[in-house]
Amino acid sequence: MTKLKAAGKPLLKSCMMALGAAFAASSGAAGLPELGSDTTPWTADVYYENHTAFRGKDATGKTVGLSKFRNTVQVEADKGLSDGWKFHGVLRGSWDGVYRMNKGQFGEDAGGPIMLQSTTPGGYIYTPHGAGPVTKDVVDGLGLTGNVFTNGYPDSPNDGLRVLGDRVHSIGGGVAFGVPVRPCDTDGRGCVDLGGYGDKNLSELEFSEFNDRLDFIREAYVRKNVPLADGKSMFLKIGKQQVVWGRTDLFRVLDVINPVDFSRNNIYDELQDIRIPMWIAQAEYRMGPSESMQDRNLQVVWNFDKFRPNILGQCGSPNVILDAGCFFRGMKTLWDYGGTVANFANVGPDTLLATNFGPGQIGLANVHLPEWSLENTQLGVKYEGVTMGGLAFSLNALHYRSQLPSLHGGKRATNAFINEYRDAWPYLISFDMYFPRVNLLGGSVDFESEALGAAIRMEGAMTWGEEFANTNRPELYSRNRVFRGVVGIDRPTFIPFINPHRTTLISGQLFWQHIFDHELEDGPLGKVGIPDFKDNFIATLLIKGFMMNDRVSPQLIIARDFRARSHTIAPAVEWSMSDDLKVTFGANFKGGKGANTFDDCRACNPWAPFTSGPDIPGDPMQAYSRGLSGFEPLGRFRAGPIGSAVNEDEIFVSLRYKF
Amino acid sequence: MIRKLTLALALAGTFGFAHAATEADVDASFNPYKIGFPSAPGLTPGMVLTKANVDSFKEVLAVGTYKMIKDGYYELKVGATTQFEMNKAYVEATKKNLNTAKLGPNNGDITGFVAGRPFPEEPDAKDPRAGEKLAWNYKYGVNWGDNAAIYPFFWKYRNMESGQLERTIKMNFHFLNFKHRVQDAPVPEVTPNPSDLFRAIYVKVLEPQDLKNTQLLIQRYDDDQKLDDAYLYLGFQRRVRRLATGQTTDAFLGSDLMIEDFEGYNGRVSDMKWAYKGTKNVLLPMWNHNDLKLTDEFGDSDGYKYVSFGGKGECFFDGSWQLRKVYVVEATPVNANHPVSKRVFYMDAQLGNLNGAVEIYDRKGELWKVWTVGKSHPDHHLPVNKGSGIGIDDAFSMVDVQSKHCTTGQFKGQVDAKLNPASMFQVQYMRGGD
Repeated sequence: MTKLKAAGKPLLKSCMMALGAAFAASSGAAGLPELGSDTTPWTADVYYENHTAFRGKDATGKTVGLSKFRNTVQVEADKGLSDGWKFHGVLRGSWDGVYRMNKGQFGEDAGGPIMLQSTTPGGYIYTPHGAGPVTKDVVDGLGLTGNVFTNGYPDSPNDGLRVLGDRVHSIGGGVAFGVPVRPCDTDGRGCVDLGGYGDKNLSELEFSEFNDRLDFIREAYVRKNVPLADGKSMFLKIGKQQVVWGRTDLFRVLDVINPVDFSRNNIYDELQDIRIPMWIAQAEYRMGPSESMQDRNLQVVWNFDKFRPNILGQCGSPNVILDAGCFFRGMKTLWDYGGTVANFANVGPDTLLATNFGPGQIGLANVHLPEWSLENTQLGVKYEGVTMGGLAFSLNALHYRSQLPSLHGGKRATNAFINEYRDAWPYLISFDMYFPRVNLLGGSVDFESEALGAAIRMEGAMTWGEEFANTNRPELYSRNRVFRGVVGIDRPTFIPFINPHRTTLISGQLFWQHIFDHELEDGPLGKVGIPDFKDNFIATLLIKGFMMNDRVSPQLIIARDFRARSHTIAPAVEWSMSDDLKVTFGANFKGGKGANTFDDCRACNPWAPFTSGPDIPGDPMQAYSRGLSGFEPLGRFRAGPIGSAVNEDEIFVSLRYKF
Repeated sequence: MIRKLTLALALAGTFGFAHAATEADVDASFNPYKIGFPSAPGLTPGMVLTKANVDSFKEVLAVGTYKMIKDGYYELKVGATTQFEMNKAYVEATKKNLNTAKLGPNNGDITGFVAGRPFPEEPDAKDPRAGEKLAWNYKYGVNWGDNAAIYPFFWKYRNMESGQLERTIKMNFHFLNFKHRVQDAPVPEVTPNPSDLFRAIYVKVLEPQDLKNTQLLIQRYDDDQKLDDAYLYLGFQRRVRRLATGQTTDAFLGSDLMIEDFEGYNGRVSDMKWAYKGTKNVLLPMWNHNDLKLTDEFGDSDGYKYVSFGGKGECFFDGSWQLRKVYVVEATPVNANHPVSKRVFYMDAQLGNLNGAVEIYDRKGELWKVWTVGKSHPDHHLPVNKGSGIGIDDAFSMVDVQSKHCTTGQFKGQVDAKLNPASMFQVQYMRGGD
């Protein structure tokens, strides 16, 4: 890793120099583009889209109801500039009425008072948030009068809360705590900028593109192809844009230059609509054919924008992938205000009592979003070609930041039992959030099989620098190399009852993720280590038919996460009623195991010996995880995005009109 | 010695019908009307064939054309037969390379071909591979020349019964011959050409919104046994997808055309079994564009007007038809799973194109589609086409007679090398847009 980083610096500089030289050569040779000078008039298309969705019952047994009433206006504009430069811009503004129309679920009336669980030999008992049973007074009674547990939360009342993960699972004897779910102008608890989400007020949630990163400018770039000698050319494109790598549908193995906004519609919108455009300069040296290759291209991509991670969805909004946004908000609330944590204190055999932690003891303290600096910009290089025999391939390298957060635990905190502050408490669930640097090497290939009557796609990438939750480490994470690969096959097949004259597309993909140096051990109370599976496989199947001259297209998407044992089935029918009006009806239904469990570090004993207990085996003076598990917080990594949304069955209708 | 002689005889019998073409054959091939234009009893320029009188002219009509008139869908205007003088460079290349092309042992094998029309001699009904030779004449025909563009190209999808216009697609089509070029630099080949490509077609969709920026690239190898490479760039996915073989026989963008239908037939010679069914005089849609009733419905900035449409459901172009010498050729797919059981082409003897009149039969052997492409003389079209010696595809009608649906096409064909740089026909070009 160190070597790669060291090697990355000169590579970054030399590539940026090359990129700069390319632009300089273009502008120097033909003059800087005169952006105000007309060569072709503006052309613009204006679209309106309404997407309305209803959601069924969640794990609480209540029907969620309206989960989306999103109205989008999009303007796509083009203009030819002087010197062969062309401008393309996309402006998009959305208003999602769900926050007002279903405010009991997603708006200012969402949540309410909650009850938290304790495990006793006689069964589960429930107490309100703030009511312990383990409180400062109780701990005082044990003789630890210097303790800083609390007797209640006057600044964090038991209102506007939901129990962490209650949409997906019951508490089930595991960890749980209250999570504020109202917009941040109604309830500021746990609100923190997680990189474009996490601290949004009602209007910012409703109008998601109107923010300080000017997301209403979806795209704004200029491009030009500069002819060079021998039929070669230099293609330049600079501005806010999406850069798409790879040959895979749905999975993002190489397609990781732009982060993705999962809050728009989880994994169910086209990537084009949920990639977050970034300010990027790209230069592509198009060498064309040689004596041995049919096509050769070398692309340098410099993402010079300020870092942005994937948007995982703010807690309390309809789409919170992996329910991660709720975990973060709940943990931030715990750090800032303290909070009652269910089933925590092992005060007796088979007894785990809800405990009133105070502020600054456990939770999420700081979010380290990388500031803009040259060092923090991201750089990619791709060589793409076609062999003499028609094999299309790419080789890709990318130096970037992880778009998923990594929580580093064992950080500074105050020991609640003795009011002792330390800069580090190994194994303590006191976290800061980071976005580590990642290096990626990968490639892709596609070819046609005449025997199978199919096109075959393959894509793979190895990354260095990704971080995973790991309860086997004092800092509760580890850095692991990861390989991801996808094999896809697209086969047009005659299915006469759909259309006797036209094939139906059957497209299958198998995704494989392998984590190197994976750690998973048997602790005395259960598995300890990395919750993500060492090897995981997800298969997708698309069946897409075409009827009435392709104006009506029924399709079925099935995805199965094999290790999570969960699946989603998404039927839809697209109907192009005219050139300007398209209506889509659809649904997605999830099934399978749903929520998973994993070591939750309750038995990590970070404040030894106080956090030990009669059910926690091993040396009471040693901090390490014994493997006591529950749904939260790490079960989500086993459930995956499908399993953790198992109670988010939806039906939807979408209408798109071009003016 | 005896073994060699036996082998030679066997090869002659297997590979083709031995016949050395002469310069006279070339002249006759490119000017079949040297001794006069064809005629048919009662058929005169200016007359209109209708449901009422079509039976009198059944012999000079393609089966599909006859059906369209007989069913009352269309009234055919008869024009005078005219010369479509062929591209001079192509004719010269034919003469220069006369008799160099030979069929190989299998359907789709050819050796020694350099440029021009490979088999200019009259097809012989006794030659079992006469149909295949005509297919080679088409494949290596002048078609759109070394390079050309349909820029733009409007397709309309219509319900023929109600006339309802369902979709309008605006596209650009580009064509480039990598090899066997005869006129535009570089001649004879665009180099380097390591994959030995023969030809490529690039298509970009401009409208409507849901198809905007869809791009198609088809690369055909000179080795006819090698499968075409086809790529599709989907605007909403922003990436290039390789097409599987079966997708070239699907409705292209939901139209009534397959990719395989482009230009009449857009596939490999080896994909079909070809049968020559005889020579006839048949009415084909050929005209002078500037003499037609035209429409300015698309408001081209340079004032160019397109061929207008009428007839049943507005599925038929308002063009004139002329009596032409044609070779009737049947093509039967080698692949038993092909959605088409047979195509019948009426190949214009002078131009060597296949698309003047085509009948397409479904897997059950029933007539499925009637496909006609009208051509304009290049000297009576856009100035850029003047003197090109290329029949300019000007309007098409593809009628699905089973579903009573049609797709129509209105061309702005431009034989202009500048519109078709070689770089446009590389996969990477598709990624360079929006």
